[in-house]
Amino acid sequence: MIKIQTPVSEDCIKKLKVGDQIEISGIIYTGRDAVLPKLAKLSQAELEKVKVDIRGGVIFHTAVSPAGIGPTSSNKLEIEGSIGPLSEKGMKIHLGKGALSIETIDILKKNNAIFTITPPVTALLTAKIISKEVALFPEEGMEALHRLEVIDLPAIVAIAHGKSIFGESGEKLDGK
Amino acid sequence: MENKIIIEKVAQCLVEASTRFRNDQIEKYEEAIAKEKNPEANWVLLNILEDARVADSKKIPLCDDTGIPHVFVEFGENVSINTEVEKAVKEGVRVGLENLPGRPMAVKGNDIERIEQSAGLFTESGALLPAPIIFKSYNGKGLKVTIMMLGGGPEIRSKTFRVFHKHDSINVITQVAEWAKEVSGQLGCTPCVPAIGIGRTHYEASVLMLEAMKDGDLSKQNKYEKLVTDTVNNSEVGPLGLGGNVTALGSFIKVGQQRASGVRIACMRPGCCFDPRRATILIN
Repeated sequence: MIKIQTPVSEDCIKKLKVGDQIEISGIIYTGRDAVLPKLAKLSQAELEKVKVDIRGGVIFHTAVSPAGIGPTSSNKLEIEGSIGPLSEKGMKIHLGKGALSIETIDILKKNNAIFTITPPVTALLTAKIISKEVALFPEEGMEALHRLEVIDLPAIVAIAHGKSIFGESGEKLDGK
Repeated sequence: MENKIIIEKVAQCLVEASTRFRNDQIEKYEEAIAKEKNPEANWVLLNILEDARVADSKKIPLCDDTGIPHVFVEFGENVSINTEVEKAVKEGVRVGLENLPGRPMAVKGNDIERIEQSAGLFTESGALLPAPIIFKSYNGKGLKVTIMMLGGGPEIRSKTFRVFHKHDSINVITQVAEWAKEVSGQLGCTPCVPAIGIGRTHYEASVLMLEAMKDGDLSKQNKYEKLVTDTVNNSEVGPLGLGGNVTALGSFIKVGQQRASGVRIACMRPGCCFDPRRATILIN
């Protein structure tokens, strides 16, 4: 088990490989279909203005609701489409579930970013939250960009450095 | 039959469906853990079983996608169904969602706004309306209410389509098994439990699929259900897509009336690692 503290360094990502079990602690962000395309469009200056720092960051593909947290399918069009732009701006770990396309595997490699997955075990994952607040887009309710402080959030490295745990035949980015 | 009792019992049923594994699910997971050779995959299976234990003891949701309530009301000979019964069942669903609490995912607005999700969401968990309730008579007494909570992941991968049977049932089952196998890799929340309905129309096939989920038992699998499960497991997608022997825990098939034709309509919902999230309650 590899312990990871946010913000995540370039070196830390370089050392991680597909199949590694990790536990993430520190500040992370959450978002899914509704906010990730909006977040991906913001420039570095706009992000600084709203005090959202994604450099060395972790984005968990989940809503934050009274029911708890749990990964949604990351291969949905709006979520997978955000992985490239966010990685280019410094997001290091994308956390969700499901196989991603060859194009996304390449984009992650190019930006020294990784994709990790975790089972949808809400009762266990929700217990890892120390604090939570809405960071941006409050109008989206539970789908707003949330800032969470977590301890030992469990995951497995699924895509790193051009390799995928799902094999090399990732499907095209078609929203399926 | 007092409406107050129906409301209370239906609310309890919804919470149980959302927080508790039945024995056949626990047994299948224990079997899968013993069978699964891939250590990462085993880690996933152990986590799911532990999640079920914690969710049951704390009465909190198994999954944060608490799902859309689908309600099946079976009524015995001594019960007459009227608008009051339907109102009480709906109120029971609302109370159950508030108690759970369910994910507040009811979408506001007119037809267009709801499609676009442009008018926001209701903040109350109980604002989420159930799918149209199915009422059906049964050989028994009182009301038998089954609540199933259908998560969004499997809905993205489900399929209802025609199959040419060529006068051999295996042609239909193998085709549908291939559909389930095809989507298992993209599902994300394996091991799954595919549910299949085979009927005359798309509506009928979908209802039969739901009935398969309602009645299915993972410890009682017929040869057609085993064929679907084995086909999906041959994909070696494994838990969470990490590779391994266990991609499906089992399958449920319900066959309804058939049309005099060379075509069958099949509905396949792949399910997820918590499916079928269901509970049944008897109200006398």
